[in-house]
Amino acid sequence: MSSDLLSIAASGVRAARAALDVSSQNIANAATEGYVRRTIRLSEMAGAGSYGRISDLSLSGVRVDGLTRNADSFRQAEARRTGSDARRAGVELQAYQNVEAALEQARLYPALTAFEASLQRLTTDPVNPSLRSAVLEDARTLARTFNIAAQGLDTIAAGLQFDATAGTAQVNLLAAQLARVNVQLVRTVPGTSDQVALLDQRDTLLKGLSDYVDVSASIAADQSVAVRIGGAAGPQLVSGSTATSLSMATAADGTLSFALGASPVTLAAGSLAAAAQGLVMVRDSHNQLDSVAAALIAAANTAQGGGVALDGSPGAPLFSGTTAATIGLALASGAGLATAPAGAPAGSRDPANLTALRGALASADITGQTNGLLFDVSSATRGRKLTSEALDAIAGAARLSLNRQAGVDLDEEAINLVRYQQAFQACGKAIQVAADLFDTLLAIR
Amino acid sequence: MTTVSTSAFYDRSNLDMAALRARANNLQAAISSGQRLGAGSDDPVAAARIRTLTRLDSFAEVDTAVAGRASADLMLADQTLSHFTGSLIRVKELAVQAANGILTAGQRAGIATELGQIGSELVRLANTRDSAGHALFGGNTAGAAYTLDASGNSVYAGTASASDLPLGDGQTVTRGLTGPEFLNFTGPSGATNLFALVKSLSDALAGAVPDPAQAARDALGTLDTALETITNQQTVIGARLNWIDLNIERQVQMSQQRSEEEAAVGGTDLSLTVSQLQQTMTVLEASQASFARLAGLSLFTLLR
Repeated sequence: MSSDLLSIAASGVRAARAALDVSSQNIANAATEGYVRRTIRLSEMAGAGSYGRISDLSLSGVRVDGLTRNADSFRQAEARRTGSDARRAGVELQAYQNVEAALEQARLYPALTAFEASLQRLTTDPVNPSLRSAVLEDARTLARTFNIAAQGLDTIAAGLQFDATAGTAQVNLLAAQLARVNVQLVRTVPGTSDQVALLDQRDTLLKGLSDYVDVSASIAADQSVAVRIGGAAGPQLVSGSTATSLSMATAADGTLSFALGASPVTLAAGSLAAAAQGLVMVRDSHNQLDSVAAALIAAANTAQGGGVALDGSPGAPLFSGTTAATIGLALASGAGLATAPAGAPAGSRDPANLTALRGALASADITGQTNGLLFDVSSATRGRKLTSEALDAIAGAARLSLNRQAGVDLDEEAINLVRYQQAFQACGKAIQVAADLFDTLLAIR
Repeated sequence: MTTVSTSAFYDRSNLDMAALRARANNLQAAISSGQRLGAGSDDPVAAARIRTLTRLDSFAEVDTAVAGRASADLMLADQTLSHFTGSLIRVKELAVQAANGILTAGQRAGIATELGQIGSELVRLANTRDSAGHALFGGNTAGAAYTLDASGNSVYAGTASASDLPLGDGQTVTRGLTGPEFLNFTGPSGATNLFALVKSLSDALAGAVPDPAQAARDALGTLDTALETITNQQTVIGARLNWIDLNIERQVQMSQQRSEEEAAVGGTDLSLTVSQLQQTMTVLEASQASFARLAGLSLFTLLR
């Protein structure tokens, strides 16, 4: 017989120690982001029978076969995909909420109502200087409110563009790291702790990428990963050791476009896609706000031109500018308000042109348009909120499901500690038995 | 076998408790602000409705102020018309006296002097100013309603009609009367006005006609027509005041309805929200307690 009790027991001691090491590594990394629970793979060592010794015992103990990483690539891909979607919805919702707040907190609608109410009050006594001043001041407030709303939208657009620039840089950084990890992965031996640690790093980088862009990853036999963005048929971001650079361009209207190398790419998920979609929404709201402001300017100035001011001179424009950002008050004093119809003498109390001004504002439906703008934004925000909540729940479930399978369970590790401690003690006992046997043989005389 | 990894347990507990806390926070905000809607996106339709209601409220406020103003001006016009009536009755008394054939020329001249005084009094009344300092009976004119021409006749200088004031929801009221509306009438010798009548009577009594007594008798019938015209216009003013009262009453009712709707659409149902908050807090406390119990369960504490 070719078995050696001492070396069998020694291999068992080594295996138990390695298993204890793995358990304590798991415990130590129970809260580490991206750490996947490892289990040790043991296999028996037994020699094959040789010629003339077919039925002989040839046992050599146990050996550590390698480390198993308990990662389920489907669940990981699912967590990436849903996480990316949830991230897009979250950032997009944030942009929509900001736009809503910018338009609501500018108090556009109340300012418009106050302006119309003071015009109405002026009909009681169109020549009263204090009522005229009140109209003028309310018009000034209204113009500034438009300015504030436009500035708010510009600020949101600038913030989104800044985030997108930072996100693009981050994607390029992560892609470069991923390419380096790919190079190292090809060189490592499967089952070693080196490879397992690199795989953790690879998956963490992929998860990081999926926060910004929609990632479709395909993993090769040598565990290196090829990454495409913008859908499964999109251009390759990482292939082997090369990472293509993602670039971002800002159009004149503030919207974003992305290109990978030379090929344009449309992102569907992740915070970069959200920034692009948010900027489209900001642009649309801005255009709508501008058209409301333009309608107000046109209606008020045309009506002013149809009447005469307090001193009998033809009415001058009430507002200057053409857009929400440039609208301003053009009249210097309340006396310039053309309340009387054309041809009326100076100081006329005839409110016919004031009525015409109010009628023009009503028929241009400025309030209705403003209300519509606010309603559009808030109902779009409402829709995004529901979507975001749903996607958050889905992403949370996917993450939990991945964690359940890949995360460390401290109770299980405690049990493993006890189990391998006992195995260690038992192997020690086997060594003692081997020593006793040897002593017994030596004691024969 | 379903294993629950430690991080999954903490993650899930965190998600659940964070959701409960967010819910409790929203309910608390609704209670403390009294508003169900924090932002328009909480309920876009309700938010749009509330915007419209608030807009109507601020217009209604202006409408009420306008109605008060119109009411004050019309009441002033009513009082002034009463003064006109009083003066006219005095003119009539004097005309009756002057119609008596036994009066001497001197006595008639005295009556003529009083009539002249009353005539200028009537012009001053016709030039009464309203609460904003404008001519009450001058329509939309910037100056006085009546001016005197070179020969001492009163001439109307105002515009043809007084403008309308809006009372809300498309209802309007004419803000006052113009002088000609109650001072001009058709006498036996065609269209004339009160000032001309009083002036011609005064001139006649002062000796401009051969038979002053007959002139006074003739004037009596015309004076009745003038009095009737003024009384008619007082009735018109009364009707307009009633119309304004009706509109103010309607505004009050509409405003009540609007505040009720605002409360129903955007307000917090306090009892419901408080009980929801209580429910959320109970669940949150229970999940915190159970989390603490479960988190304390570690095999490591039991292995020695």
